[in-house]
Amino acid sequence: MKEKRIGLHTFMAIPAFILYSIFFLYPLAKGIGMSLTDWDGITKAHFVGLDNFIQFFKDKRAVNDIRTTLIFAMGSAPLLNIVGLGYALLMDSKIKGKGIARMLIYLPAVISPLIMGYIWYLLLQPGRGFVFHFLDNLGRGAWFGNWTASYANSMLVLVLVNVWQYAGMTMVIYLAGLQAVPLELYEAARMDGATAPKRFRYVTLPLLIPSIRINVVTNIIGSLSVFDIIMSLTGGGPGYKTESLSIYIMRMCYGSKTGYSTAVALIMFFIILIPVLVSMRLTKAKPME
Amino acid sequence: MKRKKLLSIMLSLVLIIGLLAGCSTSKKDDTQGTTEGTTKEAKAEDPTAADTKKEHVNLKFFTGKIETIDVMNEIINDFNASQDRITVEQEYQKDASNIIKIKFAADQVPDIMTTYEQGFADEDKYLDLSDQSQWWSRLTPAMKDMCTDVDSGKQYRICTNMTMAGIFYNKEIFKELGLEVASNWNDFMANLETIKEKKPDVTPFFIFGNEAWHLGHLIEFIPQGYIKATYGTVEAKKAFLDNDKSKLNFGAPDGALATFAGNLLDMQAKGLINSDVLTATSDNCIQDFANGKAAMFSNGMWCLSSILEANPDMESNIGFAPYPAYMEGSKPVILSAEDSGYSISSTTKYKDEAIEFLNFLYKAENQKKYSEALKSPSAFTDVNASWASEGIVTEVNNALNSAVHIGFTNEKPAGFSGDDAGRMVQELLAGGYSAADFAKAFEEAWDAGMK
Amino acid sequence: MRKLSKVSIYLCVIFICLLCLIPFLVLIILSLNSPQRVFYEGNMFIPDFYLKNFAEGWVKSNIGSAMINSAFITALALIIIVLLCSMAAYTIARFKYRFNTLIFAVFISCMMIPGIINTVPLYTLMIKLHAVNTLWGMALVCAALAIPQSTFVFHGFIKSLPRELEESAIIDGCSWFSSFWRIVFPLLKPAASAIIILNGFGIWNNYSQAVFFLQDSKKHNVPQALSVYFQQFAGAKWNLMAATAVIAIVPVILAFLLFQKNLIRGLTEGALKG
Repeated sequence: MKEKRIGLHTFMAIPAFILYSIFFLYPLAKGIGMSLTDWDGITKAHFVGLDNFIQFFKDKRAVNDIRTTLIFAMGSAPLLNIVGLGYALLMDSKIKGKGIARMLIYLPAVISPLIMGYIWYLLLQPGRGFVFHFLDNLGRGAWFGNWTASYANSMLVLVLVNVWQYAGMTMVIYLAGLQAVPLELYEAARMDGATAPKRFRYVTLPLLIPSIRINVVTNIIGSLSVFDIIMSLTGGGPGYKTESLSIYIMRMCYGSKTGYSTAVALIMFFIILIPVLVSMRLTKAKPME
Repeated sequence: MKRKKLLSIMLSLVLIIGLLAGCSTSKKDDTQGTTEGTTKEAKAEDPTAADTKKEHVNLKFFTGKIETIDVMNEIINDFNASQDRITVEQEYQKDASNIIKIKFAADQVPDIMTTYEQGFADEDKYLDLSDQSQWWSRLTPAMKDMCTDVDSGKQYRICTNMTMAGIFYNKEIFKELGLEVASNWNDFMANLETIKEKKPDVTPFFIFGNEAWHLGHLIEFIPQGYIKATYGTVEAKKAFLDNDKSKLNFGAPDGALATFAGNLLDMQAKGLINSDVLTATSDNCIQDFANGKAAMFSNGMWCLSSILEANPDMESNIGFAPYPAYMEGSKPVILSAEDSGYSISSTTKYKDEAIEFLNFLYKAENQKKYSEALKSPSAFTDVNASWASEGIVTEVNNALNSAVHIGFTNEKPAGFSGDDAGRMVQELLAGGYSAADFAKAFEEAWDAGMK
Repeated sequence: MRKLSKVSIYLCVIFICLLCLIPFLVLIILSLNSPQRVFYEGNMFIPDFYLKNFAEGWVKSNIGSAMINSAFITALALIIIVLLCSMAAYTIARFKYRFNTLIFAVFISCMMIPGIINTVPLYTLMIKLHAVNTLWGMALVCAALAIPQSTFVFHGFIKSLPRELEESAIIDGCSWFSSFWRIVFPLLKPAASAIIILNGFGIWNNYSQAVFFLQDSKKHNVPQALSVYFQQFAGAKWNLMAATAVIAIVPVILAFLLFQKNLIRGLTEGALKG
């Protein structure tokens, strides 16, 4: 039936595509060209072929940054999903004041990142932050030691703060997804004597697949391009120990290595692409019954 | 049928593009009609209009100096009101030194700017100001030298103020413990030891290593300060630009850099600096100093107003001293360098107008206002500004008289910024290097940055 | 048993809310402290109630006009996002045309490209379009940057709506295009609210694009107004900045309460229909 008429619906993706092409794809095409040059933002650019890409893998700092980025994402992406889903299930239950509660959960993501970064550091600074002084007043200052001294602790704090700040965003998508679960399905399942975990496993979860897919993909991309949390808490330091790829790209871009930074950005694209493709395959929506 | 489909796709594409185009032009007219600013700008960007009719000119003034936003707005308003042909617009950016790079890359250079990069000077991106004798004749000779590009011998910027950096110390603590300002490293360390022993609650020397720029400044003022003091401003600038290893000698295990790194590690091991050196911030330092919890720290005059804001009673208690000599045969050094440098874009269409504005800005009465707002002395000989309390001015003058004056290291390699150097010091303080390894790694990074 | 679980749910929710409230509490405490106050001296939960910060912050930062600018940009961008992306997602989810698949693939892959590559070319383009220092230009850029993710979200939700909904309308002689607006679009309310919440605050708080495209201080948005308190080498005026930020957050909270109500309304409507 749909093949008979070529209606307006055929072109409904065009306006979005045109807007996107003007402000993203067209500049992108120009930007990608820079990755093959040694442009420093000042002098004339020279074509250098794939030199930038080769140089990247020779840079010890860059290899360390890949490691940090991957470790961060492996902690942050799954945790964000689990916590976000947990929040959403709680907020979808029949409780009073959930409007306010949802807003509070989302609050860390609402405050301007410019200020949020400072607040996180003021809270968590070793030996000087709010958390330290709070515990210190209780005589438990030793519980909150210098977490920046070890790589493992730094990564742990970075991941937890990231979840703290952004779980609300994941929750919002899950909450919207939960609207799609028809209530009578629950009732039917309850009539059949299904326990709460079973109802979740066999009724809610399958219907949440689209939201899961959205959140998994978004969180993988977001976690692998982490920037502001690390900038505000460790500045990528000490030295370059906890630097992420995004920070590396930014520093190269402003450090007179504009062409090179573009090449690294493309490498980062492929690093993100692989886990995203895998997760999209894994969460492919099954035809609904 | 397929062809029909294709045809309809094409047709609707044309239609949508047409709609969008129509839409956007009407919008454009709209904004131009309503907001005066854009109209002026559009006209200003059209060279023929400006040349033939001598119509309204909009000058773009770009600054990263937050302390002067208000006073500059005041002066700019006066200027805009004093004539009706030129309107100056101030643009402030928090990240000015990065953003100006993007502006240059996108060919959107402001007419006048306060940021200066050696790389842009090398590429003739700034207007040669050498022939503006009405300014240079009023400027102190030392500041003129600071503004001179070594390679060409020309001036691409003019600075209106001076700033100093050295060691701030708490006069009360020094008096109480009977300490004297140290002129060499041994005395300096002895002072720190005394403070640590007699006042265990006080941090003898505070370093806020969370902020890479601060550690980068330590490198610029102490080991590179030795180079600049030894060879003089101009020779040192040449050595930095040419990467003259015989003079810089960064990698040597007994060179200025390795000795500095060794001293820093020594201070850390003896507990003479704050234990949270890697996580402390500039705010922490200022608070601790203002409340008597830190006895000394290194910084520039630019932190003065923050100290006074944190504790107004501190005014009479702030001491200022040069960096002690720490190499064999060297002298104490103090940074006495340019502040508020102005450059004009070499591609501006409004060279004369830009100079006209700067003439206005550089009037003695405006510079007095400016100096007092910035809290730093003027570089013009005919400006008499009370930029700080008398006690602080005396401290600063005494310090200046007792040490060799050095400038900033503006000739750093493009790929190895002061922050990059600071991050290497972070690694040093985190235990990543020995002093000799640090010096070697620094030299490698410097060389790589030169490309 | 039932009661116990209810209580534990409430406890959980209260704990989570407190946890998420902490950063905001810090902001409030900062905004009420005098510039001389060291936060941990005395009782750190009892600030100085130095209300002058708010008055001074309001005057110094131009936050009033910045809020109007941010509101205009955010509203315009969100309208564009919701309309264009829901349309695009609909045709992509329902019709497997080759260029639909292609567009979708382009959107998804571009989500993974770091935006910094675009900085210089986009800046040049904006100048050519005379869009620098215009609110509509900024709104278009913000909307464009949000297109891939928003289309992706709408796509997921449209896929979960049964196709029979529109098919009956089609039989009644409605076109797919108008049946989208009449039948599907109203059902997308929860998804649209989610997208408005997800993108709205990001656009309101946009700094990385605003830095280039809103240079004129009259066109500054909220984060730019806040940025005047940062001093490169001497910390920042945190008390003023916090006070200004608190002022700027009030309309944001109101907007959130408005749109999250929509999320709930979506639920009850759905329940009634079901």
